[in-house]
This record gives sequence, structure tokens and C-alpha cells, in this order.
Amino acid sequence: MSEHEFHPLVKQLLDGDITLADLPAELRAEGEEALQLLARVERTSVSMPAVTWRVMAALERRRRRFMPWLLAPALAAAAALILWLRPASPPPSASLVTVRFVLVAPEARQVSLAGTFNQWNPQATPLIRAGNVWTATLTLPAGQHQYAFVVDGARWVPDPGAPAVDDGFGRRNSVLTL
Amino acid sequence: MPAGSQATDGDIVRAVLAGDRERYAQLVERYRDRYARYAARMLGSVDAAEDAVQDAFVRAFDQLAQCKEPDKFVGWFFLILRNRCFAERRRNRTSASLDAANDVAAADRADGGAENAESRRALQRALMELTPDQREVFVLKHVEGLSYSEIAERLSTSVPSLKMRMHRAYDRLREQLRDHT
Repeated sequence: MSEHEFHPLVKQLLDGDITLADLPAELRAEGEEALQLLARVERTSVSMPAVTWRVMAALERRRRRFMPWLLAPALAAAAALILWLRPASPPPSASLVTVRFVLVAPEARQVSLAGTFNQWNPQATPLIRAGNVWTATLTLPAGQHQYAFVVDGARWVPDPGAPAVDDGFGRRNSVLTL
Repeated sequence: MPAGSQATDGDIVRAVLAGDRERYAQLVERYRDRYARYAARMLGSVDAAEDAVQDAFVRAFDQLAQCKEPDKFVGWFFLILRNRCFAERRRNRTSASLDAANDVAAADRADGGAENAESRRALQRALMELTPDQREVFVLKHVEGLSYSEIAERLSTSVPSLKMRMHRAYDRLREQLRDHT
């Protein structure tokens, strides 16, 4: 047995089959070293709220790529994509652009939009539900905007279909450049 | 067919296969966090884990017709995620240790336990030096809290073979930690 190998009884201790008190006295120090190793294990839970939107957006993007003739109906079911709407008539001002925000959130009870264009007020811009899809259409000034979806008034979700930047407080903001 | 959150995995799988693609979001929502920590510890980075979990769900969607027991979707999905994690580690062995240490350090800051950061970081680096098989059994037992028999069932292997892997992992961790202290 090399100097790095734990004694078989200490391995049983690590496995939880025996306790420190079961070890002979000469193995107690090694047993304590082994338990300190386990005490270092990082067990913080990990949550990935954006994965749902990212998966559904990936599936939708691929469907649209493979079935372009379905593009028009697909728009209604698009997952977390920003769609640029071409105005039917010339825009009232060259500096304003109409944009539709879309999020698939089947289990959400409420979705809103918070961003630089509404002073990050999560009550200011609610999305409208159509089945599992939530949408909001806004006319915004040209330039760069940052935003996030707010699900059920509490969960801030970046748009997986848009680039994102760190907001400096541990969250990601989506970026829209018009 | 139930459409709410009470629907079984089998109900949802069958609905998706029948063409109701959007129901798949319910499965993703239900299981995306269950193996998030496993993937993060296997890959040494929460960002890499998020990509792996996303990719595994997309692959599972593609192969959904091959899910022979729709009511056991989650066990089938775990094996897809596991393969994805192993493949990712083969592709990218170099940067993960540093990412792992940073992720652990971030968690420590969040917990207010900064004094433990260095020792946790050292263990996380040492974990990334294990073989994927060794790391997996360590993560499933000592991070996820599964018993050897639960791990054996999930991975379709035997308890003695898992114990052999784990005991080698203990020795390698001890060696790594001594070399770095």
C-alpha cells in the first residue's frame, strides 16, 4: 500500500459503512483526514432557469431552418426570438423601430418585460398570452437597449435568442441593438 | 390527455410524439435542475453544464421515439446527459479545473464562507484530475447523496465495481490534495 492510499477501513469510513469510533486508535488521525476531505465537497444546488427557453428556442430555430415553407405559422410559436416587424407603411420616424418580443413559457402565470426602455419597471410592460406563447410589441427608439423577461413577477430570465451582457450584479441582461 | 403539471412523463412524451412539440417544455422545466449539479461537478463549470443540459434535452427530443419506456423518461434522459458530459470532458480537458475552482469560489462568496474557499477549490481541482468514471461515482455518492445500490441501478453496473472505482478515487484525491498543500 503506497503512502497515498487510505487504509481499507478508512475507505469504509468514507463510504459511510462505519464511524470514526469504529476505527482502531492508530487509524483515527487518518480517519479524521479522510472526513475533512468529504467536508470540502461543494454541494450547493445549481439552478438553470434559462434552459427551458434555450431548448425550445433551439428546437424552433431548427424547425424553421429545415421547413422554411412553415415560416409564417412558425412565427406564432417562435420561442424566445425577437422578430423584426416590417411596417406596412413608411415608419413615422426613421428613428423608431417596431419590435416584437416572444417567449414560450407554458407554465408561467404572468410574463412582463423590464428594460432600459421602461426604467426596468417589471409592471410596465406585460406580455400577452396566446397558448404557451407570450408576446409584446413595442416601438422603440433606434439605439441599444437592455432588457430581461420577468416571469411570475420574480424570475428574471434573459432572452436566449439575443446576446447578453453581465449587469454587474450577477445577472445577465439581453441586448437589443436597433 | 392531461395537459397540466400533473401529467405523467409518459403522457407528455406521447403528446410530443403525436405532434404537440410545445409540451416538451414541460419535461424540460420538470427535470432541467435535477441533474444540473451533477453536470456542473462533472464538467467543472456551471456554464459548460448549462450547455450540456441544453444539448442533452435537444438530443433527447430528437431521439424521443427511441425512449422505450416513456414513463421512465428521466432515467433515459440522464444517460443522454451523462454521455454528453463524458464527451465534453474528452474534448476539453484543460480549462475545466480553473473554471471549477472559480465556480466553487463564487459559491463560497455567495454562502459567506470565504474561509473555506481555498480548501474547496483544491478539492474541486483534484476532482477534475480523476478519470470521468471515478469522478462520476464520487459526485453521485458524495454530492448527489445516492447510495451505491442506487448508483448501480442508474448506471447498470455492480456495487463491487463502483466501490473499486470509488476507492481508487479516494486514493487519488488524497494524493492530489497532498501534492497541492
